[in-house]
Amino acid sequence: MIPLPGREQREIAAAVARFAASLAPRIEAAEEAGAIPADVIASLGAMGVLGMTVPESDGGLGAGSVAFALVLEELAAAWASLAVGVSVNCGITEGTLVRLGTPEQKRRWLPRLIDGSGLGAFALTEPGSGSDAAALRTTARRDGDGWVLSGRKMFVTNLRYAPVVIVLARVGQAEPGRPHRGITAFLVPTDAPGVTVAKAERKMGLHASDTSALALDGARVGGDAVLGPLGNGFGPVALAGLDSGRIGIAAQAVGIARGAIERARAYVGQRRQFGRAIGDFQMVRFALARAATEVSAARMLTLRAAWLKDAGRPFTREASQAKLYASEMAQRATRTAVQLLGGYGYMREAVVERCARDARATTIYEGTSEVQRLVIARSLVAA
Amino acid sequence: MKILVCAKQVPDSTVRVKVAADGRSADTSGITWAIAPYDEYAIELALERKDRDPQTTVSVVTVGPARARDALRQALAMGCDEAIHVTGADAEKAEGLAVARALAKIADEAKPDLVLCGRQASDDDQGLVGPALADVLGWPHVATVTRFETVEGGTDVWKEVEGGHEVWRASGPAVLTVQKSEKDPRYPSLPGIMKAKTKEIPEKDLGSLGVDLNAPRLEIVKMEPPPARGGGKILKDGDARAAAQQLVQLLRDEAKVL
Repeated sequence: MIPLPGREQREIAAAVARFAASLAPRIEAAEEAGAIPADVIASLGAMGVLGMTVPESDGGLGAGSVAFALVLEELAAAWASLAVGVSVNCGITEGTLVRLGTPEQKRRWLPRLIDGSGLGAFALTEPGSGSDAAALRTTARRDGDGWVLSGRKMFVTNLRYAPVVIVLARVGQAEPGRPHRGITAFLVPTDAPGVTVAKAERKMGLHASDTSALALDGARVGGDAVLGPLGNGFGPVALAGLDSGRIGIAAQAVGIARGAIERARAYVGQRRQFGRAIGDFQMVRFALARAATEVSAARMLTLRAAWLKDAGRPFTREASQAKLYASEMAQRATRTAVQLLGGYGYMREAVVERCARDARATTIYEGTSEVQRLVIARSLVAA
Repeated sequence: MKILVCAKQVPDSTVRVKVAADGRSADTSGITWAIAPYDEYAIELALERKDRDPQTTVSVVTVGPARARDALRQALAMGCDEAIHVTGADAEKAEGLAVARALAKIADEAKPDLVLCGRQASDDDQGLVGPALADVLGWPHVATVTRFETVEGGTDVWKEVEGGHEVWRASGPAVLTVQKSEKDPRYPSLPGIMKAKTKEIPEKDLGSLGVDLNAPRLEIVKMEPPPARGGGKILKDGDARAAAQQLVQLLRDEAKVL
């Protein structure tokens, strides 16, 4: 068995590509407005995209990670902001619910993350904890039957669209040498008392993707809000969720890079200088050849990680390798695209400028390139 | 209600068609194929009826080579109930009238209440198969249809005409050729794609349907791309007023658009 997509997976990707292409006339305005239009999310729900990785027994399609990686690539090739929203909804949010949720939790929340009425969110990062995720300071304290959460979360993707956000908080105290102790995931309805969706960040790229802060001021949730193991959620929730999320970011980086290179390819065939199409010049051809080859290599790494995941085999290292290579590759490819378009490439209208800004986030979120190297190295050499 | 939609697979509208080396056919190597756009509108119209009335079944049929199976799979993924592929050695080069005769055989068997076709396929733009099919079946035909409703005593059919529409009533089975309507054809849903995978697509050999594939015949003897566009004229000399005067003169005397 080799990790090549089958016919059904390619057909799913083609259907999504067609839908994504139809959005083209609306993307610039949505990026300006800083929001994904509700009807676009609704359409993704109606098409079945938002539940595609959820097992059939939980109301989804059970389509697997390979198909999902292809779908994210197609969405990102057209519109990276949308791919980010879908990735966080289906990857880390639904994925965690499916893996660790009780039947009641799944019944309550999965339909709302699948049907296109909103997008799910996952809150891990805090003002004082980023790459050192276990240093989080948000607390959860027992109160009668339920829990009271207090703290600040940052950079929460989709928060403004989310009916529910998975929040990592600490129950009890951290101990020296045991930083993961007490960390627990909670399903927090965004309309629960004490929950405030705070400031939306203004970002370098991905303008239509929502990135907001979450304030928990004595937020009250029920006793049934604990998702996964109480007091021991860091590994099964945060680390496992990030592994899957990394495949999503890798796929997204492949898509952004491919989209930029496709646009550059079209341009160099038309743009004439010195009496010929600039695509006739060897330096232009070689730049495209290199970028296209790197896109293919990144896609294969991504599909390998996805395939391992679908096969139920370990994929932590492969997901990090795919994420690291694809995101770094996307920097080079989008830079090449902007350069090939010259002055036009620097202008908003040509779109490759947006690709370059959007690609920049991929080496940062779901673990920076440096964190990926740590993860990969750890799997190679004992510390 | 039972609806049969006839669809044709054509080069995708984004494909830049090139003339093949023989100078009389299109070079189809490596191109993307799709359901002809008006045929997609016909499928959409049928599926809208199915949305309103789950008792409705929608079958889709195509006459074409092996690759045309992809068009049927797409139609199934959009929500059609079943698909029939008329294919075989003769299917690639069958002309409109032969295709209409073959489709009539399928309709004879399937006994639909309505047959929907696109108003014309985007490859040859002949617009022949729908009306010819009606003729072979001995059924009435309504063209440029954008909507239909079942009413007491038949089907009301909205037909687009210059500046508005007319409503025609068919008392029995009819062939409708469908115009672009307001609602764009739906995308195949992901569950649709996965469900389509499990559906059998029966194949029928065009040669063994017992239809006359020959007379009368047409052949394409020559195909030419449109002439390359000449370079435009740039008015560089003089101030804006002089340039404007010159432009008006050229538009009137040379381009003759004023």
